Amino acid sequence: MRLSLVLLLSYCLSWTAQAAEFDIYQSDYRPLQLAWMVHTDIKYDVENHLLHDVVENDLTSSQSFAALDPLSYLAPVDEALQQVDYSDWRIIGADVLVLCRLTPLKEGWQAEVQVHDPFRSKQLSSIVLKAPDTSLRTLAHRVANHIYRTVTGTPGHFTSHILFIQKRGAFSDLIHMDQDGANRQVIGKNFTLLLSPDWSPDEHVVALNTYVGNHPRLEFFDLATGTRTTFGNFKGLNSTPEFSPDGRYVAATLSYTGNAEIHIYDLKTKRWRQFTHHPGIDTTPTWSPDGKWIAFASNRSGSPQIYRQALDGGAAIRVTTVANYNTSPVWSPKGDRIALITRKKWEYALATVQVDGSNVRYLATGKRIESPSWSPNAQMLLYSAENNGIRQIFRVPSWGGRAEAITSVGMDASDPAWSRK
Amino acid sequence: MKSERSMKLAIAVITIGMLFVGCAKKEPAPEPAPAPTTAAVSEAPQKPSSNSVYFAFDSSELDAAASATLDAHADWLNANPDVSITIEGNCDERGSREYNLALGQQRADSVRDYLVSRGVSSTRIDTVSFGEERPACTGSGEACWAQNRRADIVTR
Repeated sequence: MRLSLVLLLSYCLSWTAQAAEFDIYQSDYRPLQLAWMVHTDIKYDVENHLLHDVVENDLTSSQSFAALDPLSYLAPVDEALQQVDYSDWRIIGADVLVLCRLTPLKEGWQAEVQVHDPFRSKQLSSIVLKAPDTSLRTLAHRVANHIYRTVTGTPGHFTSHILFIQKRGAFSDLIHMDQDGANRQVIGKNFTLLLSPDWSPDEHVVALNTYVGNHPRLEFFDLATGTRTTFGNFKGLNSTPEFSPDGRYVAATLSYTGNAEIHIYDLKTKRWRQFTHHPGIDTTPTWSPDGKWIAFASNRSGSPQIYRQALDGGAAIRVTTVANYNTSPVWSPKGDRIALITRKKWEYALATVQVDGSNVRYLATGKRIESPSWSPNAQMLLYSAENNGIRQIFRVPSWGGRAEAITSVGMDASDPAWSRK
Repeated sequence: MKSERSMKLAIAVITIGMLFVGCAKKEPAPEPAPAPTTAAVSEAPQKPSSNSVYFAFDSSELDAAASATLDAHADWLNANPDVSITIEGNCDERGSREYNLALGQQRADSVRDYLVSRGVSSTRIDTVSFGEERPACTGSGEACWAQNRRADIVTR
């Protein structure tokens, strides 16, 4: 009895001490210093700047690179393209030197890219990228992907896209944009409540939860045609759709059986089957990248926690062990971690944990912090949070770094969904 | 723990006491009340003035006040068998929106189950959850949040 009192007291004390804020995870990673130059004929100055700025913005937005001031460069781009003197670049501290020659094709553009490591006096890669029918912006994102992969060994995420929801009074719009915020356009207008959009792996279709006549339903929204097809219209909940990695199934939450359970829809047979069987709430399914597991939030223990359950059978295994409120699991595309929203006292944070529940990393806090979504290469996470009554989409590196807003304060934005490639 | 429970009991006793006091005050002239009037009242229950019941954070349990409201609704529904209702479950803005959708449904379902247990046919009851999307009070703070953790009974 006395021991339990002491334990309770020490628990309360440590709780009070930690409750003020989360210990935000920061890696000691120092961004690589980048020297980056584009050469074009003088009459293509506009294109030169566009390519230069899009690539630089991509690489620095990843927080893995920091751009050096071009005024510090000791050699002009045409000279460097002839012959690289690595000592010129070591002296200004360039970890990475990237040179590009941009030339017009009959239709479109060609970029010859060289990536150098001045400190090892070595050319790391050289590639010719052609964009005969796509925009210069897309070519720039491909150049950024090449540089990112050459230097970090991880594929870049710069040709990916983002969906989110803009709420205007009683109506919601579905918005599509490039990962850097460019080419933003409304692709679905005037939904009455719109929640939880999820990309099909091939990026052709979005699964979403909307309300028609005050009843929730699950719909497929065809991105090319705008056609909406209902695939879940049961009594009660029809929410939180998520495509399986192979695109054949959608897991979602239905409650027609009497309480919220995870069910799986087969796009081929157009049939549903029940996946979880528990009297508590089971919701927000997320697939492991190998398609063998589904993680979900459940309050079967009394408060919401994350569980995972194998597709081929077996009991649900509890993932989260820290904090008494854990929701919104999203499995990393690399498979090693699960992102979630967690609560301490009355503060909420975006965190990731290993699949066995260990090694919690708190990445960001915020009022109404919600809806995590991984970049296709698992290096970044999107989420929404409220700032002065307006929800904005933020981006934060999954390895610890600065959280940055990617939507303006001029619109209420939520439910970010990052495309899968 | 024990003291907390006895505290709750004490509060409950006080609340009940206050209810009786309230009842006593509202009956200023009970004596001449004729028997037929009482019979007429029990034959035609009034539509309850409150259409909402409220919940604690992350809970769909009905407290005494909610049960009292729902008893009145059950009486009224049983007296008016042609009326159908929709129960709308709602949550405050704290916690994840997706989880709150499920919680709102659980609240609506627990209200439905209570009414069914009081004799209302389930075929007359529809349920829907709006999660935290339709707050009655837009703002922060417990005074506001408490109003948003609710289930509304809407006559169709």
